[in-house]
Amino acid sequence: MSLRPSWAICKHEFRVMRSDLETPIFLIVIPLLMTAFMKPLFRMALVGEGFAGANGSEQAVPGMAVMFSTMFVGYMGFAFFRDHGWGTWERLRASPASPLQIMVGKLLPPFAVSILQLVVLFSAGVLAFDLVIRGSTAALVLVSGALTLALLSFGVAVTAIARTSQQLDAWGGMGGLLFAMLGGSLVPVSVLPGWARWMAPATPTYWAMEGYRSVLLTTGGLGDVLLPVIALLGFAVAFTVVAVVKFRFDETKVYWG
Amino acid sequence: MLTVTEVHKKYRAIKALDGVSIDLQPGEILGLLGPNGAGKTTLVSLIAGLRRPDAGTVRVAGLDVTANPEEARRFIGLAPQDLGIYPVVSVRNNLAVFGEIAGLSGLRLRRRIDDLAERLRIAHLLDRLAGTLSGGEKRRLHTAIALLHEPPLALLDEPTTGADVATRYDLLALVKDLAEAGSAVLYSTHYLAEVETLGASVAILDHGRLIASGALQELIASYAETAVELSFDGPPPDLQLDGLAVSASDSAIRITTDDPSSAVATALGAMGAAAKRLRSVEVFEPSLEAVFLNLTGRRYSDEVAKEAEELVS
Repeated sequence: MSLRPSWAICKHEFRVMRSDLETPIFLIVIPLLMTAFMKPLFRMALVGEGFAGANGSEQAVPGMAVMFSTMFVGYMGFAFFRDHGWGTWERLRASPASPLQIMVGKLLPPFAVSILQLVVLFSAGVLAFDLVIRGSTAALVLVSGALTLALLSFGVAVTAIARTSQQLDAWGGMGGLLFAMLGGSLVPVSVLPGWARWMAPATPTYWAMEGYRSVLLTTGGLGDVLLPVIALLGFAVAFTVVAVVKFRFDETKVYWG
Repeated sequence: MLTVTEVHKKYRAIKALDGVSIDLQPGEILGLLGPNGAGKTTLVSLIAGLRRPDAGTVRVAGLDVTANPEEARRFIGLAPQDLGIYPVVSVRNNLAVFGEIAGLSGLRLRRRIDDLAERLRIAHLLDRLAGTLSGGEKRRLHTAIALLHEPPLALLDEPTTGADVATRYDLLALVKDLAEAGSAVLYSTHYLAEVETLGASVAILDHGRLIASGALQELIASYAETAVELSFDGPPPDLQLDGLAVSASDSAIRITTDDPSSAVATALGAMGAAAKRLRSVEVFEPSLEAVFLNLTGRRYSDEVAKEAEELVS
């Protein structure tokens, strides 16, 4: 498969993104503010869990990073819906680019921005919020990559199922919020009610937080994050299957915007 | 360059295309005519590989579009009926992305963008955001995107819809140049006059069926005759005119004749008191309008006007 059409589309998507930089900036700056706000609360929660030396950033930084990563779901889906709204989806389909080349070209930019978001948030965590990576940095990177893949494929699945941009907003936003709440990124799983703790492993965010906590609260290495990474990749595969089954290139999506 | 053979396409119970076959050679312009719902856009979509036919085959440059869509699309430049441009990036970048997807790059891409922009008189707008262009300028850009990679087969689906006179003139001139340079052009339109201006071959679709196709002059010679139409307030008189073919509708009679003046004089003499209710006399010279009328029994201009009214209401 030639990467040339994908690269052309990818570059173009970055140009389109550049016309609305506020959204990605918002998704990077707001979690920093939230981290500062949540850190003292999370410190109490972590101390209560028995992590006496925790300063709260071990939960606040990954928690906000994961929660705001889920918000890229809608952002990514919008990249498809706006093409329907602008009448350019037909043009892309009528171009020599294959469906796979189009998908790669459109998904690379949100993937890259999502990774950038995690890099900025964890770097800021270390530099500004006294975050200490007690375990393996490679393990941290591995969890971040697996999380981004899982959320990206969730985004494609939601895009495939949603018929209108309003549905995308609702399902992407609500799905992301649900993942964040149940998965322990908004509040630690330990303080959730029993039924929610029972449901938490059914969300990719839970496994991402498990991986991050292993690396940030203990000296977790690659072996320690293996299960969370496998679980995240499992979610990625499951969402991809949904996307492959449900995504129809010839479907006309309704875009209001 | 393009061979469509016995293509059928249904949307639920509606037959959008019913056994349509067309053939298009390099350098040829084929004017695809028909009122809304005739199947023009469906046919263009099938050729572009955007939809699959229920039966029949579409071949572009010898490639079956259904079996090899990506390969076939390398030969195609499509300007869909609805505008398709990125409003938030510049005109140049709108062109660049589709040029690059089609394999153009570097100096060749830049030159091609500059040449085409010059040709369509949007060169001074290349660095403007596409969303800030006027309607006519957007229409020019929309068509330019389709033609940037000099496709051997250009599919232009109603490219002048909503365009101002200058834009229409420039687009028609470009289409002619394109064909002279060897591209095959399928030009779908509502406007009979455009097809006559282009001197194109003609394919007329009506309710999904190809009701006539061929060279413009041949069609006119085969199907169009000079006719006179006399319209009345109220029902027309029952006229029997020796040697003249007369047909009547709710409020008009139509006389097919080679000599309109004599036919009108004869009719006036024969209609007696009904002459007081005569509202208008119209002569139809042999034209595509007359071809459509002869083949369908309906006036093309009425069909288009009806559609416009439906759109407004």
